[in-house]
Amino acid sequence: MAGNFWQSSHCQQWILDKQDLLRDRQDDLTNFPDDEYQKVHIFYCGVIQAVGEQLKLRQQVIATATVYFKRFYSKYSFRTIDPLLMGPTCVFLASKVEEFGVISNSRLITACQTVIKNKFSYAFNQEFPYRINHVLECEFYLLEMMDCCLVVYHPYRPLTSYVQDMGQEDTVLPLAWRIVNDSYRTDVCLLYPPFMIALAALHMACVILQKDAKHWFAELSVDMEKMLEITRVILRLYDLWKQYDERKEILSLLSKMPKARIAQPGQSSDGKQGSQGGSQK
Amino acid sequence: MMGHILCSGKIKMAADRSKRYQKIDFLGEGQFATVYKAKDTKTGQIVAVKKIKLGQRAEAKDGINRTALREIKLLQELSHTNIIGLYDVFGHKSNISLVFDFMDTDMEVVTKDTSIVMTGPHIKAYAIMTLEGLEYLHNNWILHRDLKPNNLLVNSQGILKITDFGLAKTFGSPNRVYTHQVVTRWYRAPELLYGARIYGTGVDMWAVGCILAELLLRVPFLPGDSDIDQLSKIFQALGTPSEDTWPGMKSLPDYIEYKQFPGTPLKDIFTAAADDLISLLGKLLCLNPSQRYNCSQALQMPYFSNKPGPTPNPQLPLPSGTSAEILMEDHKVKVGVKRKLPADSDPTLKKKLVF
Repeated sequence: MAGNFWQSSHCQQWILDKQDLLRDRQDDLTNFPDDEYQKVHIFYCGVIQAVGEQLKLRQQVIATATVYFKRFYSKYSFRTIDPLLMGPTCVFLASKVEEFGVISNSRLITACQTVIKNKFSYAFNQEFPYRINHVLECEFYLLEMMDCCLVVYHPYRPLTSYVQDMGQEDTVLPLAWRIVNDSYRTDVCLLYPPFMIALAALHMACVILQKDAKHWFAELSVDMEKMLEITRVILRLYDLWKQYDERKEILSLLSKMPKARIAQPGQSSDGKQGSQGGSQK
Repeated sequence: MMGHILCSGKIKMAADRSKRYQKIDFLGEGQFATVYKAKDTKTGQIVAVKKIKLGQRAEAKDGINRTALREIKLLQELSHTNIIGLYDVFGHKSNISLVFDFMDTDMEVVTKDTSIVMTGPHIKAYAIMTLEGLEYLHNNWILHRDLKPNNLLVNSQGILKITDFGLAKTFGSPNRVYTHQVVTRWYRAPELLYGARIYGTGVDMWAVGCILAELLLRVPFLPGDSDIDQLSKIFQALGTPSEDTWPGMKSLPDYIEYKQFPGTPLKDIFTAAADDLISLLGKLLCLNPSQRYNCSQALQMPYFSNKPGPTPNPQLPLPSGTSAEILMEDHKVKVGVKRKLPADSDPTLKKKLVF
C-alpha cells in the first residue's frame, strides 16, 4: 500500500525494540543458542521463498509473507506452531492481502509437497505433513497474533526512488536490490523502518561498487548510526553464510526444534497438547 | 475432525474474545454477514459486530473471507472522523467478526424518510463530511469503489462515516489494471460503464455527485435498469459527450455510440438548489473523468464557504424510529424500508471480482 508509512500500523506497532525482541525469544534462544536461531529462520525463509517461487508469486508477496513469519515468531516460540505450517500459511495470507489472486488450496498444498520433496529433502525425511484445514486454522492465529496489521511496507519502493534521485539506476540498483532481498534473512525488517534498510543497502552497494556517493548521503538528514547498525547486521549474515553449510547442519538443528506438531495420521496424540490437543481422525 | 495445531496453551484467543461483546439486538443479515448491536463489556461502549459468514463450502475453503480481509487490512491503517472505525477483530472457529462503531442510520434511510425536511444547510453538512472522509481515503491512495447512500452511515450525533471497504483498493501503481465491474450501477461513473480498466479517484467523485443529487431529489438521480440503460440515463440528463468534450472516450473497451442527447441544464433538474451547489454538481458529474474535480478541488469551491453554513452535526435530522434498520453491510436482506434493486441485477456479481 502506498499510503502514509508514518501513520501505518507497520510504523506504529511493528518496528520492534531489540531488547524486547530478545526477551520475547528467550524460550527459543535456550534451544538455539548463538547463531543457531538465525540459521533456523534462514532455513524457513528459504522454504517460504521456494514455495512462493513455485507458485510464481511476485517478490513483494514473498517479502510480505516473510515479514508475517518473523512477526509471528517475534512474539511466540517455535513450540506454539510448527514453522513448517506457519511458512506456507504466511504465503497464503500474503497473497490475499497483496491482492495477488486466489491460490487454490490444492495448488498451495501441492506446491508445498513439491518443494519439500525436491528442494528440502535433505531437511525432512517425510512428506509435507499438513492439509489445507491446518493452514486455514493457522491463518486465523496469524491474523490475530499480528493484531490484524496486514499492510507491510518494503524497502524496494524507497530504494527505487533513492537510486533515481542519485542518478545511478543502472549500476547500483541491481546490487542494492539483492542486498535488500538478503536483508529478509535477518531481523532488520522487524527492527528498522524500510526506508532505512533501503538506505543501508544502497550505501553498501555504493561501497562495493566504489561509487562515490558521499555527497548524496551527506545531504540526508537520517540517523547514520542506525544505517550502520543495519549494515553490520547484513554483513554478519554474509559472514555466517560463508562458514555454514545448511545441507549438513540443518537436520541436527531441526531435531532440536520443540515439538509443536499435531499428531500425524497413524500416530497417537503426544499427550503434551493438553486440553487443546486431540487426535486427527 | 482435525487435530488442533497449537500445542501449548500460550495463545489464548478466539472463544473468550467473543464473550467480550454482549449481543443487544439483531441489526440485519446479508449474504455475507450478520450484524448485531452489542455492548463492549470492557468499555461499556455500544458497537456493531459484523459476523462474516462462512458462506458456501467453496468459499470457506479460501480461508478468511477476502472481502473481510480487505476491510481489515485497510481500516487497520485508517483513522478519520468520517471513516468507520474498526475496533476489534476476533475469530471463533472459522468465523470471523469485525467490531465497528455503532451507527444509528444511513443516508439511504435519511433520504427515504419523507418526514425529514432536507434543508440546504443539511445537505452542505453531509457533503462536507462525505468529501472530507473521501479526501482522506484518496490521500492515502485508496479508492472506495462502492459509494452509495447506504454506505454513508450516520450516528445519533449527526456524524457521517463512510463504511464498507469490501471493494476498496489501493491505487497509484501506473501499470496495474483494475476491474471495471465496481460500484453499484446507479452510482457508476461513465468511464466504468464504458469498460475502463485504468481509472482513478474520479469513480468515487462521480458517485458523490449522484449521492448529492439524490439528497436534492429524494429519489435516485440515475436509476438505470441495465448497464446500457444506465449510460442512456446519464446522457439523457447530462448530454451525450463527444470526442471533443471527452477525448479518448471512443477508445475505451466497451465504447458504443449513443444517440445525441442535448442534456438538461442542471439548474432545471435541481430547481431548488442554489447556483453554488449547481456548479459543484457540475464539477462532480463531469462526464470526462480527467476534468472531474477531486475532493480537495471540490472542497475549495465557493459552495462550501458561502452562506448559509452547514448545519451543526447534533442538529442534523434523524429518521423517526431510528433503530434497527441499519446494516453495516447493506446489500442483501433489507430490514425496514430498504429499496429493492431491479430484479435483473445480480447482487452477487460484485463479490465475484477477479483482481
